[in-house]
Amino acid sequence: MAAPALLTVKPRARRRLKPSLVAGLVIIGAFVLMALFPQVIAPYSPTAFDYQAVLQGPTAKHLFGTDNFGRDVFSRVVWGAQLDMQIALFTTLFPFLFGTLIGALTGYYGRWADAIFGRVVDIVVTFPFLVLVIAIVAVLGPGLKNMYIAVSAVGWITYGRLIRAEIRGQKRAEYALAGQVMGYTPARIIFRHLLPNAITPAIVYWMTDMALGILLGSSLGYLGLGAQPPTAEWGVLIADGKNFLATAWWISTFPGLAITLAGVGFSLLGDGLADLLRPRG
Amino acid sequence: MNRWSYVLIRVLQVIPTFFVVMVLVFAAARLLPGDPLTAILGERATEEMVVKAKHELGLDQPLPVQFWIFLKDFFQGNLGDSINLKVPVTRLILERMPVTLFLTLYAAVLAAALAIPLAFVAALRKDTWADNLIRGVFQLGLSMPVFYIGLQLLTLLGARLRWFPVGGYGNTFGEHLYYLFLPALTLGFNLAAILMRNLRASILEVLQAEYVDFARAKGLRPSLILGKHVLRNALISTVTLFGLNIGGLIGGAVITETVFAIPGVGRLMVDSIFGRDYPVIQGLTLTFALLVSLVFILTDVIHAQLDPRVEAA
Repeated sequence: MAAPALLTVKPRARRRLKPSLVAGLVIIGAFVLMALFPQVIAPYSPTAFDYQAVLQGPTAKHLFGTDNFGRDVFSRVVWGAQLDMQIALFTTLFPFLFGTLIGALTGYYGRWADAIFGRVVDIVVTFPFLVLVIAIVAVLGPGLKNMYIAVSAVGWITYGRLIRAEIRGQKRAEYALAGQVMGYTPARIIFRHLLPNAITPAIVYWMTDMALGILLGSSLGYLGLGAQPPTAEWGVLIADGKNFLATAWWISTFPGLAITLAGVGFSLLGDGLADLLRPRG
Repeated sequence: MNRWSYVLIRVLQVIPTFFVVMVLVFAAARLLPGDPLTAILGERATEEMVVKAKHELGLDQPLPVQFWIFLKDFFQGNLGDSINLKVPVTRLILERMPVTLFLTLYAAVLAAALAIPLAFVAALRKDTWADNLIRGVFQLGLSMPVFYIGLQLLTLLGARLRWFPVGGYGNTFGEHLYYLFLPALTLGFNLAAILMRNLRASILEVLQAEYVDFARAKGLRPSLILGKHVLRNALISTVTLFGLNIGGLIGGAVITETVFAIPGVGRLMVDSIFGRDYPVIQGLTLTFALLVSLVFILTDVIHAQLDPRVEAA
Protein backbone atom coordinates (compact mmCIF):
# COMPACT_ATOMS: atom_id res chain seq x y z
CA MET A 1 0.00 0.00 0.00
CA ALA A 2 3.00 2.28 0.47
CA ALA A 3 3.98 2.16 -3.18
CA PRO A 4 1.21 4.38 -4.63
CA ALA A 5 1.81 6.97 -1.94
CA LEU A 6 5.50 7.08 -2.85
CA LEU A 7 4.62 7.36 -6.51
CA THR A 8 2.46 10.39 -5.93
CA VAL A 9 4.91 12.10 -3.60
CA LYS A 10 8.07 11.55 -5.58
CA PRO A 11 7.26 13.38 -8.83
CA ARG A 12 5.89 16.32 -6.88
CA ALA A 13 9.08 16.59 -4.85
CA ARG A 14 11.16 16.39 -7.99
CA ARG A 15 9.13 19.02 -9.82
CA ARG A 16 9.03 21.48 -6.95
CA LEU A 17 9.73 24.93 -8.37
CA LYS A 18 13.21 26.27 -7.79
CA PRO A 19 13.36 29.42 -5.64
CA SER A 20 15.16 31.28 -8.43
CA LEU A 21 12.30 30.59 -10.84
CA VAL A 22 9.70 31.73 -8.29
CA ALA A 23 11.65 34.90 -7.48
CA GLY A 24 12.11 35.66 -11.17
CA LEU A 25 8.40 35.09 -11.87
CA VAL A 26 7.41 37.39 -8.99
CA ILE A 27 9.73 40.23 -10.09
CA ILE A 28 8.88 40.07 -13.78
CA GLY A 29 5.20 39.50 -12.93
CA ALA A 30 5.20 42.73 -10.92
CA PHE A 31 6.76 44.65 -13.81
CA VAL A 32 4.27 43.15 -16.28
CA LEU A 33 1.40 44.25 -14.02
CA MET A 34 2.84 47.77 -13.94
CA ALA A 35 3.15 47.69 -17.72
CA LEU A 36 -0.44 46.53 -18.19
CA PHE A 37 -2.17 48.74 -15.60
CA PRO A 38 0.06 51.78 -14.96
CA GLN A 39 -2.96 54.07 -14.48
CA VAL A 40 -4.16 51.85 -11.62
CA ILE A 41 -0.79 51.49 -9.87
CA ALA A 42 0.68 54.97 -10.37
CA PRO A 43 -0.75 57.50 -7.91
CA TYR A 44 -0.10 60.50 -10.18
CA SER A 45 0.13 61.30 -13.86
CA PRO A 46 3.68 60.69 -15.13
CA THR A 47 3.74 64.02 -16.97
CA ALA A 48 1.78 66.35 -14.67
CA PHE A 49 3.89 69.29 -13.44
CA ASP A 50 3.45 70.39 -9.83
CA TYR A 51 5.47 73.50 -9.08
CA GLN A 52 4.40 73.32 -5.44
CA ALA A 53 6.38 70.10 -5.03
CA VAL A 54 9.66 70.48 -6.91
CA LEU A 55 12.71 68.32 -6.07
CA GLN A 56 11.16 66.80 -2.95
CA GLY A 57 12.84 63.77 -1.41
CA PRO A 58 11.01 60.48 -0.91
CA THR A 59 8.00 60.85 1.44
CA ALA A 60 4.81 58.91 2.03
CA LYS A 61 3.08 61.23 -0.45
CA HIS A 62 5.77 60.84 -3.10
CA LEU A 63 7.30 57.42 -2.52
CA PHE A 64 10.32 58.05 -4.79
CA GLY A 65 10.27 61.86 -4.46
CA THR A 66 9.63 64.39 -7.22
CA ASP A 67 11.79 65.75 -10.05
CA ASN A 68 12.67 69.30 -11.04
CA PHE A 69 9.19 69.81 -12.56
CA GLY A 70 7.45 68.32 -9.55
CA ARG A 71 6.60 65.14 -11.42
CA ASP A 72 6.14 62.08 -9.20
CA VAL A 73 9.17 59.82 -9.77
CA PHE A 74 7.34 56.65 -8.63
CA SER A 75 4.57 57.26 -11.17
CA ARG A 76 7.15 57.85 -13.88
CA VAL A 77 8.97 54.63 -13.00
CA VAL A 78 5.66 52.71 -13.13
CA TRP A 79 4.78 54.17 -16.53
CA GLY A 80 8.36 53.53 -17.62
CA ALA A 81 7.76 49.81 -17.00
CA GLN A 82 5.23 49.89 -19.84
CA LEU A 83 7.83 51.16 -22.27
CA ASP A 84 10.74 49.08 -21.00
CA MET A 85 8.77 45.82 -20.96
CA GLN A 86 7.77 46.65 -24.52
CA ILE A 87 11.46 47.21 -25.32
CA ALA A 88 12.36 43.87 -23.73
CA LEU A 89 9.80 42.12 -25.93
CA PHE A 90 10.27 43.96 -29.20
CA THR A 91 14.08 43.87 -29.19
CA THR A 92 14.02 40.08 -28.77
CA LEU A 93 10.88 38.65 -30.37
CA PHE A 94 11.94 38.93 -34.00
CA PRO A 95 15.53 37.80 -33.30
CA PHE A 96 14.17 34.78 -31.40
CA LEU A 97 11.76 33.71 -34.15
CA PHE A 98 13.96 34.50 -37.14
CA GLY A 99 17.16 33.22 -35.51
CA THR A 100 15.42 29.97 -34.58
CA LEU A 101 14.18 29.51 -38.15
CA ILE A 102 17.57 30.24 -39.73
CA GLY A 103 19.43 28.19 -37.14
CA ALA A 104 17.13 25.21 -37.70
CA LEU A 105 17.45 25.34 -41.48
CA THR A 106 21.22 25.84 -41.59
CA GLY A 107 21.75 23.24 -38.87
CA TYR A 108 19.65 20.67 -40.72
CA TYR A 109 20.80 21.25 -44.29
CA GLY A 110 24.42 22.20 -43.59
CA ARG A 111 26.65 22.65 -46.66
CA TRP A 112 26.10 25.93 -48.52
CA ALA A 113 23.41 27.23 -46.15
CA ASP A 114 25.89 26.70 -43.34
CA ALA A 115 28.67 28.38 -45.27
CA ILE A 116 26.59 31.48 -45.97
CA PHE A 117 25.47 31.65 -42.34
CA GLY A 118 29.09 31.38 -41.22
CA ARG A 119 30.09 34.35 -43.40
CA VAL A 120 27.20 36.46 -42.10
CA VAL A 121 28.21 35.65 -38.53
CA ASP A 122 31.82 36.62 -39.29
CA ILE A 123 30.71 39.99 -40.63
CA VAL A 124 28.30 40.82 -37.84
CA VAL A 125 30.72 39.92 -35.02
CA THR A 126 33.29 42.24 -36.59
CA PHE A 127 31.29 45.20 -35.33
CA PRO A 128 30.87 45.82 -31.64
CA PHE A 129 27.14 45.19 -31.09
CA LEU A 130 26.47 48.60 -29.59
CA VAL A 131 28.48 50.40 -32.28
CA LEU A 132 26.57 48.59 -35.01
CA VAL A 133 23.21 49.40 -33.42
CA ILE A 134 24.24 53.02 -32.92
CA ALA A 135 25.47 53.23 -36.52
CA ILE A 136 22.17 51.85 -37.84
CA VAL A 137 20.22 54.26 -35.63
CA ALA A 138 22.48 57.03 -36.95
CA VAL A 139 21.46 56.15 -40.50
CA LEU A 140 17.75 55.70 -39.77
CA GLY A 141 17.40 58.45 -37.17
CA PRO A 142 16.84 58.31 -33.39
CA GLY A 143 13.69 56.74 -31.95
CA LEU A 144 12.33 53.45 -30.60
CA LYS A 145 11.11 52.05 -33.93
CA ASN A 146 14.50 52.46 -35.57
CA MET A 147 16.15 50.98 -32.50
CA TYR A 148 13.98 47.85 -32.88
CA ILE A 149 14.98 47.59 -36.53
CA ALA A 150 18.67 47.99 -35.66
CA VAL A 151 18.62 45.40 -32.86
CA SER A 152 16.59 42.94 -34.92
CA ALA A 153 19.05 43.19 -37.79
CA VAL A 154 21.85 42.02 -35.51
CA GLY A 155 20.27 40.13 -32.60
CA TRP A 156 19.01 37.05 -34.45
CA ILE A 157 22.58 35.85 -34.98
CA THR A 158 22.98 34.55 -31.43
CA TYR A 159 19.74 32.53 -31.60
CA GLY A 160 20.76 31.21 -34.99
CA ARG A 161 24.08 29.97 -33.62
CA LEU A 162 22.49 28.36 -30.56
CA ILE A 163 19.78 26.53 -32.52
CA ARG A 164 22.15 25.55 -35.32
CA ALA A 165 24.54 23.89 -32.87
CA GLU A 166 21.68 22.02 -31.16
CA ILE A 167 20.08 20.87 -34.41
CA ARG A 168 23.40 19.63 -35.74
CA GLY A 169 23.75 17.53 -32.60
CA GLN A 170 20.18 16.24 -32.75
CA LYS A 171 19.85 15.42 -36.44
CA ARG A 172 22.03 12.30 -36.16
CA ALA A 173 19.92 11.04 -33.26
CA GLU A 174 17.97 7.84 -33.89
CA TYR A 175 14.56 9.45 -33.69
CA ALA A 176 15.48 11.91 -36.44
CA LEU A 177 16.87 9.17 -38.68
CA ALA A 178 13.72 7.17 -37.98
CA GLY A 179 11.68 10.13 -39.20
CA GLN A 180 13.65 10.17 -42.43
CA VAL A 181 13.17 6.44 -42.92
CA MET A 182 9.43 6.88 -42.35
CA GLY A 183 9.43 9.35 -45.25
CA TYR A 184 8.47 12.44 -43.26
CA THR A 185 9.07 15.77 -44.97
CA PRO A 186 12.13 17.72 -43.81
CA ALA A 187 9.80 20.46 -42.51
CA ARG A 188 8.00 17.93 -40.29
CA ILE A 189 11.28 16.47 -39.01
CA ILE A 190 12.76 19.89 -38.30
CA PHE A 191 9.80 21.59 -36.67
CA ARG A 192 7.90 18.70 -35.05
CA HIS A 193 10.76 16.47 -34.01
CA LEU A 194 14.10 18.27 -33.86
CA LEU A 195 13.14 21.77 -32.76
CA PRO A 196 11.30 20.83 -29.54
CA ASN A 197 14.48 19.03 -28.47
CA ALA A 198 16.76 21.85 -29.56
CA ILE A 199 15.00 24.98 -28.40
CA THR A 200 15.78 25.00 -24.65
CA PRO A 201 19.07 26.95 -24.83
CA ALA A 202 17.41 29.54 -27.06
CA ILE A 203 14.51 30.01 -24.62
CA VAL A 204 16.91 30.34 -21.69
CA TYR A 205 19.00 32.83 -23.64
CA TRP A 206 15.82 34.70 -24.58
CA MET A 207 15.31 35.61 -20.92
CA THR A 208 18.86 36.99 -20.60
CA ASP A 209 18.41 38.75 -23.91
CA MET A 210 15.33 40.58 -22.64
CA ALA A 211 17.46 41.95 -19.79
CA LEU A 212 20.09 42.94 -22.35
CA GLY A 213 17.36 44.55 -24.45
CA ILE A 214 16.34 46.76 -21.52
CA LEU A 215 20.00 47.65 -20.86
CA LEU A 216 20.45 48.57 -24.52
CA GLY A 217 17.15 50.46 -24.77
CA SER A 218 17.88 52.47 -21.66
CA SER A 219 21.46 53.16 -22.82
CA LEU A 220 20.20 54.51 -26.14
CA GLY A 221 17.51 56.45 -24.27
CA TYR A 222 20.21 57.93 -22.06
CA LEU A 223 22.31 58.93 -25.08
CA GLY A 224 19.20 60.47 -26.68
CA LEU A 225 19.08 57.92 -29.51
CA GLY A 226 16.22 55.75 -28.22
CA ALA A 227 12.94 56.80 -26.62
CA GLN A 228 12.64 60.57 -26.75
CA PRO A 229 11.85 62.80 -23.75
CA PRO A 230 9.42 63.51 -22.16
CA THR A 231 8.59 59.80 -22.54
CA ALA A 232 8.95 58.00 -19.23
CA GLU A 233 11.54 55.44 -20.33
CA TRP A 234 13.89 54.35 -17.53
CA GLY A 235 17.07 55.40 -19.36
CA VAL A 236 15.52 58.76 -20.26
CA LEU A 237 14.48 59.21 -16.60
CA ILE A 238 18.07 58.63 -15.49
CA ALA A 239 19.30 61.16 -18.05
CA ASP A 240 16.65 63.63 -16.80
CA GLY A 241 17.99 63.41 -13.27
CA LYS A 242 21.71 63.21 -14.00
CA ASN A 243 22.32 66.92 -13.33
CA PHE A 244 20.61 66.61 -9.96
CA LEU A 245 22.46 63.53 -8.74
CA ALA A 246 24.40 65.43 -6.09
CA THR A 247 21.34 67.30 -4.76
CA ALA A 248 18.35 65.09 -5.64
CA TRP A 249 19.69 61.55 -5.96
CA TRP A 250 16.23 59.97 -6.09
CA ILE A 251 15.37 61.16 -9.60
CA SER A 252 17.99 58.96 -11.30
CA THR A 253 18.57 56.33 -8.65
CA PHE A 254 15.08 54.77 -8.60
CA PRO A 255 14.74 54.28 -12.36
CA GLY A 256 18.23 52.73 -12.28
CA LEU A 257 17.16 50.35 -9.55
CA ALA A 258 14.12 49.42 -11.66
CA ILE A 259 16.42 48.50 -14.58
CA THR A 260 18.68 46.51 -12.26
CA LEU A 261 15.76 44.69 -10.65
CA ALA A 262 14.28 43.84 -14.06
CA GLY A 263 17.70 42.53 -15.13
CA VAL A 264 18.01 40.37 -12.04
CA GLY A 265 14.42 39.17 -12.56
CA PHE A 266 15.03 38.05 -16.13
CA SER A 267 18.32 36.35 -15.13
CA LEU A 268 16.60 34.42 -12.34
CA LEU A 269 13.81 33.48 -14.73
CA GLY A 270 16.38 32.23 -17.24
CA ASP A 271 18.27 30.22 -14.60
CA GLY A 272 15.03 28.78 -13.29
CA LEU A 273 13.82 27.81 -16.76
CA ALA A 274 17.18 26.20 -17.49
CA ASP A 275 16.74 24.01 -14.41
CA LEU A 276 13.15 23.24 -15.25
CA LEU A 277 13.59 22.46 -18.95
CA ARG A 278 16.83 20.48 -18.78
CA PRO A 279 15.99 16.98 -17.65
CA ARG A 280 19.33 16.35 -15.91
CA GLY A 281 20.17 20.02 -15.40
CA MET B 1 51.91 23.94 -39.35
CA ASN B 2 54.04 26.41 -37.49
CA ARG B 3 52.86 29.34 -35.45
CA TRP B 4 53.42 32.02 -38.06
CA SER B 5 51.56 30.32 -40.87
CA TYR B 6 48.64 29.96 -38.47
CA VAL B 7 48.70 33.72 -37.87
CA LEU B 8 48.97 34.35 -41.60
CA ILE B 9 45.96 32.16 -42.34
CA ARG B 10 43.88 33.99 -39.74
CA VAL B 11 44.85 37.33 -41.28
CA LEU B 12 43.95 36.10 -44.75
CA GLN B 13 40.57 34.87 -43.46
CA VAL B 14 39.73 38.35 -42.22
CA ILE B 15 40.27 40.02 -45.60
CA PRO B 16 37.09 38.85 -47.39
CA THR B 17 35.05 39.61 -44.27
CA PHE B 18 36.42 43.09 -44.11
CA PHE B 19 35.76 43.58 -47.80
CA VAL B 20 32.07 42.84 -47.25
CA VAL B 21 32.09 45.19 -44.26
CA MET B 22 33.38 47.93 -46.55
CA VAL B 23 30.69 47.19 -49.14
CA LEU B 24 28.03 47.45 -46.41
CA VAL B 25 29.34 50.74 -45.05
CA PHE B 26 29.66 52.11 -48.58
CA ALA B 27 26.09 51.10 -49.40
CA ALA B 28 24.70 52.46 -46.11
CA ALA B 29 26.35 55.83 -46.71
CA ARG B 30 24.56 56.05 -50.06
CA LEU B 31 21.18 54.95 -48.71
CA LEU B 32 21.07 57.66 -46.08
CA PRO B 33 17.81 59.50 -45.80
CA GLY B 34 18.54 63.19 -46.04
CA ASP B 35 21.04 64.02 -48.75
CA PRO B 36 24.59 64.29 -47.33
CA LEU B 37 25.21 66.97 -49.95
CA THR B 38 22.56 69.16 -48.36
CA ALA B 39 24.29 68.56 -45.05
CA ILE B 40 27.61 69.70 -46.55
CA LEU B 41 26.39 72.64 -48.64
CA GLY B 42 23.45 73.84 -46.58
CA GLU B 43 19.82 74.23 -47.67
CA ARG B 44 20.35 77.20 -49.95
CA ALA B 45 22.89 75.66 -52.36
CA THR B 46 22.36 76.45 -56.04
CA GLU B 47 22.12 73.80 -58.74
CA GLU B 48 25.57 74.84 -59.92
CA MET B 49 27.13 74.33 -56.49
CA VAL B 50 25.53 70.89 -56.20
CA VAL B 51 26.93 69.78 -59.57
CA LYS B 52 30.35 71.10 -58.66
CA ALA B 53 30.36 69.45 -55.24
CA LYS B 54 29.15 66.17 -56.75
CA HIS B 55 32.03 66.28 -59.17
CA GLU B 56 34.58 67.09 -56.45
CA LEU B 57 33.33 64.25 -54.27
CA GLY B 58 33.17 61.86 -57.24
CA LEU B 59 29.42 61.35 -56.75
CA ASP B 60 28.77 61.77 -60.49
CA GLN B 61 30.75 58.61 -61.24
CA PRO B 62 29.13 55.16 -61.66
CA LEU B 63 28.78 53.26 -58.36
CA PRO B 64 31.55 50.66 -58.98
CA VAL B 65 33.97 53.51 -59.74
CA GLN B 66 32.84 55.29 -56.59
CA PHE B 67 33.45 52.12 -54.62
CA TRP B 68 36.92 51.75 -56.11
CA ILE B 69 37.75 55.33 -55.10
CA PHE B 70 36.31 54.64 -51.64
CA LEU B 71 38.55 51.55 -51.26
CA LYS B 72 41.63 53.33 -52.56
CA ASP B 73 41.05 56.32 -50.29
CA PHE B 74 40.53 54.07 -47.28
CA PHE B 75 43.81 52.23 -47.76
CA GLN B 76 45.59 55.53 -48.29
CA GLY B 77 44.18 56.64 -44.96
CA ASN B 78 41.82 59.18 -46.50
CA LEU B 79 38.36 59.06 -44.94
CA GLY B 80 37.16 62.44 -46.22
CA ASP B 81 36.60 65.60 -44.21
CA SER B 82 34.33 66.14 -41.25
CA ILE B 83 31.32 68.26 -42.25
CA ASN B 84 31.08 70.08 -38.93
CA LEU B 85 34.69 70.31 -37.79
CA LYS B 86 36.15 70.90 -41.30
CA VAL B 87 39.21 68.71 -40.67
CA PRO B 88 40.19 65.34 -42.18
CA VAL B 89 38.36 62.47 -40.49
CA THR B 90 41.60 60.47 -40.31
CA ARG B 91 43.29 63.20 -38.29
CA LEU B 92 40.25 63.48 -36.01
CA ILE B 93 40.25 59.72 -35.36
CA LEU B 94 44.02 59.54 -34.85
CA GLU B 95 43.82 62.39 -32.34
CA ARG B 96 41.03 60.81 -30.34
CA MET B 97 41.91 57.13 -30.67
CA PRO B 98 44.74 57.02 -28.10
CA VAL B 99 42.31 58.17 -25.39
CA THR B 100 39.83 55.42 -26.21
CA LEU B 101 42.54 52.76 -26.54
CA PHE B 102 43.97 53.81 -23.18
CA LEU B 103 40.53 53.64 -21.62
CA THR B 104 39.63 50.21 -23.08
CA LEU B 105 43.02 48.68 -22.23
CA TYR B 106 42.85 50.11 -18.73
CA ALA B 107 39.34 48.70 -18.35
CA ALA B 108 40.49 45.30 -19.62
CA VAL B 109 43.41 45.26 -17.16
CA LEU B 110 41.15 46.28 -14.26
CA ALA B 111 38.61 43.64 -15.29
CA ALA B 112 41.27 40.91 -15.29
CA ALA B 113 42.74 42.19 -12.03
CA LEU B 114 39.31 41.95 -10.41
CA ALA B 115 38.15 38.74 -12.05
CA ILE B 116 41.16 36.41 -11.70
CA PRO B 117 41.75 36.58 -7.92
CA LEU B 118 38.04 36.73 -7.12
CA ALA B 119 37.32 33.75 -9.38
CA PHE B 120 39.94 31.76 -7.43
CA VAL B 121 38.44 32.78 -4.10
CA ALA B 122 34.94 31.94 -5.31
CA ALA B 123 35.96 28.59 -6.81
CA LEU B 124 38.13 27.45 -3.90
CA ARG B 125 35.46 28.46 -1.40
CA LYS B 126 32.55 27.21 -3.47
CA ASP B 127 29.11 27.68 -1.87
CA THR B 128 30.43 29.60 1.13
CA TRP B 129 29.39 33.15 1.98
CA ALA B 130 32.46 34.51 0.14
CA ASP B 131 31.47 32.72 -3.07
CA ASN B 132 27.87 33.88 -2.77
CA LEU B 133 28.89 37.47 -2.05
CA ILE B 134 31.27 37.64 -5.03
CA ARG B 135 28.76 36.10 -7.40
CA GLY B 136 25.93 38.24 -6.04
CA VAL B 137 27.77 41.53 -6.45
CA PHE B 138 28.87 40.68 -9.98
CA GLN B 139 25.37 39.48 -10.94
CA LEU B 140 23.99 42.79 -9.71
CA GLY B 141 26.64 44.64 -11.71
CA LEU B 142 25.74 42.70 -14.84
CA SER B 143 22.13 43.81 -14.47
CA MET B 144 23.06 47.50 -14.15
CA PRO B 145 23.45 49.72 -17.20
CA VAL B 146 27.02 50.95 -17.74
CA PHE B 147 25.97 54.60 -17.68
CA TYR B 148 24.15 54.10 -14.37
CA ILE B 149 27.20 52.58 -12.66
CA GLY B 150 29.23 55.45 -14.09
CA LEU B 151 26.85 58.15 -12.88
CA GLN B 152 26.69 56.72 -9.37
CA LEU B 153 30.49 56.35 -9.08
CA LEU B 154 30.90 59.84 -10.49
CA THR B 155 28.50 61.35 -7.98
CA LEU B 156 29.72 59.46 -4.95
CA LEU B 157 33.50 59.25 -5.44
CA GLY B 158 33.88 62.25 -7.73
CA ALA B 159 31.44 65.00 -6.79
CA ARG B 160 30.73 64.13 -3.17
CA LEU B 161 33.94 62.65 -1.74
CA ARG B 162 36.18 64.42 -4.28
CA TRP B 163 38.54 61.43 -4.50
CA PHE B 164 38.54 61.53 -8.28
CA PRO B 165 38.12 64.24 -10.95
CA VAL B 166 34.65 64.39 -12.52
CA GLY B 167 35.81 64.54 -16.13
CA GLY B 168 38.69 65.00 -18.53
CA TYR B 169 41.74 62.96 -19.35
CA GLY B 170 44.85 64.63 -17.85
CA ASN B 171 48.21 65.22 -19.48
CA THR B 172 50.79 62.76 -18.16
CA PHE B 173 50.63 58.97 -17.95
CA GLY B 174 50.10 59.15 -14.20
CA GLU B 175 47.31 61.66 -14.66
CA HIS B 176 45.68 59.45 -17.28
CA LEU B 177 45.69 56.58 -14.79
CA TYR B 178 44.14 58.80 -12.15
CA TYR B 179 41.60 60.61 -14.37
CA LEU B 180 40.47 57.46 -16.13
CA PHE B 181 40.25 55.21 -13.06
CA LEU B 182 36.50 55.61 -12.52
CA PRO B 183 35.65 55.43 -16.24
CA ALA B 184 37.81 52.31 -16.66
CA LEU B 185 36.28 50.70 -13.58
CA THR B 186 32.80 51.47 -14.90
CA LEU B 187 33.62 50.12 -18.33
CA GLY B 188 35.47 47.05 -17.05
CA PHE B 189 32.92 45.95 -14.47
CA ASN B 190 30.64 44.06 -16.85
CA LEU B 191 33.61 42.33 -18.43
CA ALA B 192 34.96 41.46 -14.97
CA ALA B 193 31.62 39.85 -14.14
CA ILE B 194 31.57 37.80 -17.34
CA LEU B 195 35.22 36.71 -16.91
CA MET B 196 34.79 35.89 -13.24
CA ARG B 197 31.77 33.66 -13.89
CA ASN B 198 33.52 31.81 -16.68
CA LEU B 199 36.85 31.47 -14.89
CA ARG B 200 35.18 30.22 -11.71
CA ALA B 201 33.42 27.50 -13.70
CA SER B 202 36.65 26.61 -15.53
CA ILE B 203 38.65 26.41 -12.29
CA LEU B 204 36.04 24.13 -10.75
CA GLU B 205 36.23 21.94 -13.85
CA VAL B 206 40.03 21.86 -13.95
CA LEU B 207 40.23 21.02 -10.25
CA GLN B 208 38.39 17.77 -11.09
CA ALA B 209 40.90 16.83 -13.80
CA GLU B 210 43.18 13.83 -13.34
CA TYR B 211 46.37 15.77 -13.97
CA VAL B 212 45.58 17.97 -10.98
CA ASP B 213 45.07 14.86 -8.82
CA PHE B 214 48.37 13.61 -10.18
CA ALA B 215 50.12 16.88 -9.35
CA ARG B 216 48.72 16.66 -5.82
CA ALA B 217 49.82 13.06 -5.53
CA LYS B 218 53.31 14.09 -6.61
CA GLY B 219 53.28 16.34 -3.58
CA LEU B 220 53.55 19.65 -5.43
CA ARG B 221 52.90 22.74 -3.38
CA PRO B 222 49.27 23.92 -3.67
CA SER B 223 50.41 27.34 -4.89
CA LEU B 224 52.37 25.68 -7.69
CA ILE B 225 49.43 23.49 -8.63
CA LEU B 226 47.10 26.46 -8.75
CA GLY B 227 49.48 28.75 -10.61
CA LYS B 228 50.96 26.37 -13.11
CA HIS B 229 48.33 23.74 -13.75
CA VAL B 230 44.97 25.15 -12.81
CA LEU B 231 45.34 28.79 -13.90
CA ARG B 232 46.89 28.07 -17.27
CA ASN B 233 44.26 25.54 -18.24
CA ALA B 234 41.39 27.53 -16.83
CA LEU B 235 42.58 30.62 -18.68
CA ILE B 236 42.27 29.03 -22.13
CA SER B 237 38.52 29.48 -22.51
CA THR B 238 38.68 32.78 -20.63
CA VAL B 239 41.14 34.28 -23.14
CA THR B 240 38.73 33.53 -25.98
CA LEU B 241 35.88 35.05 -24.00
CA PHE B 242 38.06 38.06 -23.26
CA GLY B 243 38.72 38.63 -26.97
CA LEU B 244 35.09 38.20 -27.92
CA ASN B 245 34.11 40.79 -25.34
CA ILE B 246 36.63 43.44 -26.36
CA GLY B 247 34.07 44.49 -28.97
CA GLY B 248 31.60 45.03 -26.15
CA LEU B 249 34.22 47.08 -24.34
CA ILE B 250 34.68 49.35 -27.35
CA GLY B 251 30.91 49.72 -27.61
CA GLY B 252 30.73 50.48 -23.90
CA ALA B 253 33.39 53.15 -24.37
CA VAL B 254 30.85 55.11 -26.42
CA ILE B 255 28.65 55.35 -23.34
CA THR B 256 31.40 55.71 -20.73
CA GLU B 257 33.06 58.55 -22.62
CA THR B 258 29.74 60.36 -22.83
CA VAL B 259 29.05 59.97 -19.10
CA PHE B 260 32.55 61.05 -18.02
CA ALA B 261 33.06 63.70 -20.73
CA ILE B 262 36.21 62.03 -22.07
CA PRO B 263 37.44 63.26 -25.47
CA GLY B 264 37.75 59.86 -27.19
CA VAL B 265 36.32 58.34 -30.38
CA GLY B 266 33.21 57.06 -28.58
CA ARG B 267 32.14 60.57 -27.66
CA LEU B 268 33.05 61.65 -31.20
CA MET B 269 30.65 59.00 -32.54
CA VAL B 270 27.74 60.29 -30.44
CA ASP B 271 28.51 63.93 -31.26
CA SER B 272 28.72 63.08 -34.96
CA ILE B 273 25.34 61.37 -34.93
CA PHE B 274 23.68 64.42 -33.43
CA GLY B 275 25.61 66.65 -35.82
CA ARG B 276 24.72 64.41 -38.81
CA ASP B 277 28.44 64.30 -39.62
CA TYR B 278 28.26 61.31 -41.96
CA PRO B 279 31.93 61.10 -43.05
CA VAL B 280 32.96 60.83 -39.39
CA ILE B 281 30.32 58.19 -38.60
CA GLN B 282 31.40 56.19 -41.65
CA GLY B 283 35.10 56.47 -40.79
CA LEU B 284 34.53 55.51 -37.19
CA THR B 285 32.39 52.50 -38.07
CA LEU B 286 35.14 51.19 -40.35
CA THR B 287 37.81 51.89 -37.75
CA PHE B 288 35.89 50.03 -35.05
CA ALA B 289 35.41 47.06 -37.38
CA LEU B 290 39.12 47.00 -38.21
CA LEU B 291 40.04 47.22 -34.53
CA VAL B 292 37.75 44.35 -33.54
CA SER B 293 39.10 42.20 -36.39
CA LEU B 294 42.64 42.78 -35.13
CA VAL B 295 41.62 41.84 -31.59
CA PHE B 296 40.02 38.62 -32.87
CA ILE B 297 43.23 37.66 -34.66
CA LEU B 298 45.26 38.46 -31.55
CA THR B 299 42.89 36.38 -29.44
CA ASP B 300 43.30 33.38 -31.72
CA VAL B 301 47.07 33.72 -31.62
CA ILE B 302 47.17 33.90 -27.82
CA HIS B 303 44.74 30.99 -27.65
CA ALA B 304 47.12 28.97 -29.84
CA GLN B 305 50.04 29.91 -27.57
CA LEU B 306 48.19 28.70 -24.48
CA ASP B 307 46.69 25.62 -26.05
CA PRO B 308 49.10 23.73 -28.36
CA ARG B 309 46.25 21.48 -29.51
CA VAL B 310 44.87 24.35 -31.62
CA GLU B 311 47.80 24.17 -34.02
CA ALA B 312 47.57 20.45 -34.46
CA ALA B 313 43.98 20.80 -35.63
